[in-house]
Amino acid sequence: MSRPLDAFYLPPSLAGTVETTTQRFGPPPEPLEIRLPLLTPEQLAHWIEHLREARAKRLASRPIAATLRSLDRVVQRYLDPRSKQRREAIDALGRTGTFSAPMVSQALDDAFQPLAHGGLSRWLTAELGSARALDRPMPGPGGTRRRAHGPEWMLQIYAGNVPTVPVLPLFSALLLKSALVAKTAAQEPLFAPLLASAIADVDADLGACMAVVWWKGGQAELDRAAIDRAPAVLAFGGESAVTSIAHAARPGAAVVLQGPKVSVGYIGAGAMRRGSLPSLAARAAHDVALYDQQGCLSPHAFYVERGGMVTPVAFAEALGAALDAAASRLPRREPVLAEAASVQLSRAQAALEAATGRVTRVLESERGTEWTVIAEGSARFEPGPRHRVVRVHAVKDVEEFARAVAGAEQFIESIGVEERGSRRERLESRLSELGIPRITAVGSLQRPTPLGTHGGVARLLPFVRWTTLEKGSAPRREAAAPKPKPKSVSRVKPKPKLKSRPKPKSRPKPKPKPKASASKSSARGSRRGASRPRRSR
Amino acid sequence: MRSLEPVCAPGREFESIAMERFDHQSRTISAYAAYCAYLGRTPGAIGDWRAVPPVPASAFKTHDMSAAPRGSEAVIFETSGTSVSKPGRVRLGSTELYETSLLSSFERHLLPDAARLPAIVFGPRRAEAPRSSLWFMVEKVVEKFAPAAVYLVRGGEPRWSEADSVLKRAESRGEPALLLGTTLFFMAYFEYLEREGRTFSLPPGSRAMDTGGAKGLRAEYEREEIESAFAHRLGIPPSHLVNEYGMAELGSQFYDDNLLAKHEGRARLSGKQIPPWVRTRVLNTETLEEQPDGERGILVHYDLANVDVPLAIQTEDIGFRIGDRLHIEGRLLGAEARGCSLPFEKFLAEGRA
Repeated sequence: MSRPLDAFYLPPSLAGTVETTTQRFGPPPEPLEIRLPLLTPEQLAHWIEHLREARAKRLASRPIAATLRSLDRVVQRYLDPRSKQRREAIDALGRTGTFSAPMVSQALDDAFQPLAHGGLSRWLTAELGSARALDRPMPGPGGTRRRAHGPEWMLQIYAGNVPTVPVLPLFSALLLKSALVAKTAAQEPLFAPLLASAIADVDADLGACMAVVWWKGGQAELDRAAIDRAPAVLAFGGESAVTSIAHAARPGAAVVLQGPKVSVGYIGAGAMRRGSLPSLAARAAHDVALYDQQGCLSPHAFYVERGGMVTPVAFAEALGAALDAAASRLPRREPVLAEAASVQLSRAQAALEAATGRVTRVLESERGTEWTVIAEGSARFEPGPRHRVVRVHAVKDVEEFARAVAGAEQFIESIGVEERGSRRERLESRLSELGIPRITAVGSLQRPTPLGTHGGVARLLPFVRWTTLEKGSAPRREAAAPKPKPKSVSRVKPKPKLKSRPKPKSRPKPKPKPKASASKSSARGSRRGASRPRRSR
Repeated sequence: MRSLEPVCAPGREFESIAMERFDHQSRTISAYAAYCAYLGRTPGAIGDWRAVPPVPASAFKTHDMSAAPRGSEAVIFETSGTSVSKPGRVRLGSTELYETSLLSSFERHLLPDAARLPAIVFGPRRAEAPRSSLWFMVEKVVEKFAPAAVYLVRGGEPRWSEADSVLKRAESRGEPALLLGTTLFFMAYFEYLEREGRTFSLPPGSRAMDTGGAKGLRAEYEREEIESAFAHRLGIPPSHLVNEYGMAELGSQFYDDNLLAKHEGRARLSGKQIPPWVRTRVLNTETLEEQPDGERGILVHYDLANVDVPLAIQTEDIGFRIGDRLHIEGRLLGAEARGCSLPFEKFLAEGRA
């Protein structure tokens, strides 16, 4: 057995102060040895203080550009097949038995590619209007200027179902110039610490502001030591975990909780063509097979319209064949016995439903619980036991789907859609009415853009506090009075905040158009000092 | 009351009664009949009780799996539902054999000394939970064996201070008591006692039946932890704490051997007793072939106490069997904390409502 892996990350200044214990982790015959710190509530409180100080000194007032540069290098390292970081991640996650190496490899690509080549900065711009709003006031809506503040520190609690779950959250804390205490998941305690040390390796200042550690659930004192103090909490977890965090968080804390969800697919009749069926089925199978349906982006069911060139049952068969092919390309993780028992139970249930009419076909892998496709004659929403068990529901139209998921929309994270031409647009438009957070293409379910949301909630904004710099304006009647004297108007309500701002705002305005300036000035892309009202065309 | 003798008497083989039951059930439960036909395993087509098709426990959520005519039920039990699925319904036309089975197993494992003790129920009266098979069982046990009973859940609320005074009384009067409840509920009470800094020392002979801990979703407690809490908080030694495993879909229950072993003056056997009128098959999770003794797999129970509902039930539980002793495993730690994915947790922490 090789050297134990550290299942935690602490800044160098703290790492020397902890005692550790070695635990066995992962499936026999080759369990992994992992090192964990021995943690007390007092120690955790001390860490938090330490991280807050480090953040004040090293992160709070440094330009965002520096962080972007560093994180960009981290992204590049994880995408580089020869890098130590990528190889370490694949090796460690492979050895935990959580996911096969090809799957981890795919996970890294899916997580990091959208962040490369300016992706990080596009993400900030999409949510904050400009990355530099984190440094100084930048043009905001309605002629205002705004400055964004991240929380002093964040508590993040990860789930272990998909290996790269921590990537965007961990980056989001650093991008908001926040210190971070992250609690990893029992099933997968390795990737987040690896990511944190990869970041520390590139940027010691960022490394000084993070602690990533696992402790056993149910240790109320440790949980409290973290949650009681946290000004911001982002937590992924099961229903009861998420509910108890919601209750424990301190009043006024920014709290985002991501509870359990699944995804689905919807295939329009126009896309049900003989020629494209294998490729469609292969993309659907990819979405199902990746992470063995452990994550919220994994489809548990495809709703397939009747009336296309091929039948929904033909799609089910093609999906079965594609899942068979995926078995070697994306080998599954061996389910633990209880999980396999759930798969067997759902197969028996499907057989019962086939016997009594609801289910039309039950397709299964030749051996074992590798994959299961259950074809049904109508729509319903009933997520399966994961591990590549997927339902194919024949539906008349999107309305049948909408009825089937009515009331359960909050459990659906995304829909993968396949349809042709203008029918696709109509379909997407109708689906968007359901309020499901994400609509994408079949085959892309596992690759969400960071520019979107998670659970319908933006990734940064919920944690941002804004300072808005208003220009100040006269009451409408005065402003609209004939022959206004711009000078006096601008002085009606001088805002103390405006002092430091470059002066030549309203005074040299050649043709004051109060209305236009109040409503049209656009924030996007404008530079500092260039926040004069733009002329409307 | 009907005796179980015809069921377990020598000469009447399990086999023949099981096949009789199967024949009856596959004719009277239409969904089950369709299932057997679909699988090609109808009474005429099989020659061995092992080929009797087990219904998945989930079947009770989706199908009427009872031979009892609607409206004439003696009881309707509900199994726990989830956020997205309905609870299952187990309709029984008669509870005669059910009661015989449960009383016989309970008596053997909790009252081998024929003690008749006042009961302290860490749960509600049956009237408050009419669909619960557990509180049905407790009611029957109390009626049959307990001279008096106190129920510590009323209006859905635990009455901890009442628990304190009842236990205090038992302690000061030197009257041994019979405690009945769910493991999690007991553990919640012990947490309360810890906060209050209180312990009791119940008189010798006091005993407790706890249920759910081995199978509950929240496998947060090790058995040793539970045993030491009972010993420390109530003065009930491990020999007098008996864990039970049961489910609404089964007429029979399975018990630990501690108290019986103590009574018989022998070392305790590990695992739980499979009642003589039950067979438990352990199936390989991948192939569904029967596992040899000692190998883990899916538990499928064949219970002759199931009259109105199919005798063969396929569970999601994992365990292994050695002879007539069943070892049931708790679910994986963390199985609940699945993050942003299913399964949706069960509303109830116990395996049955």
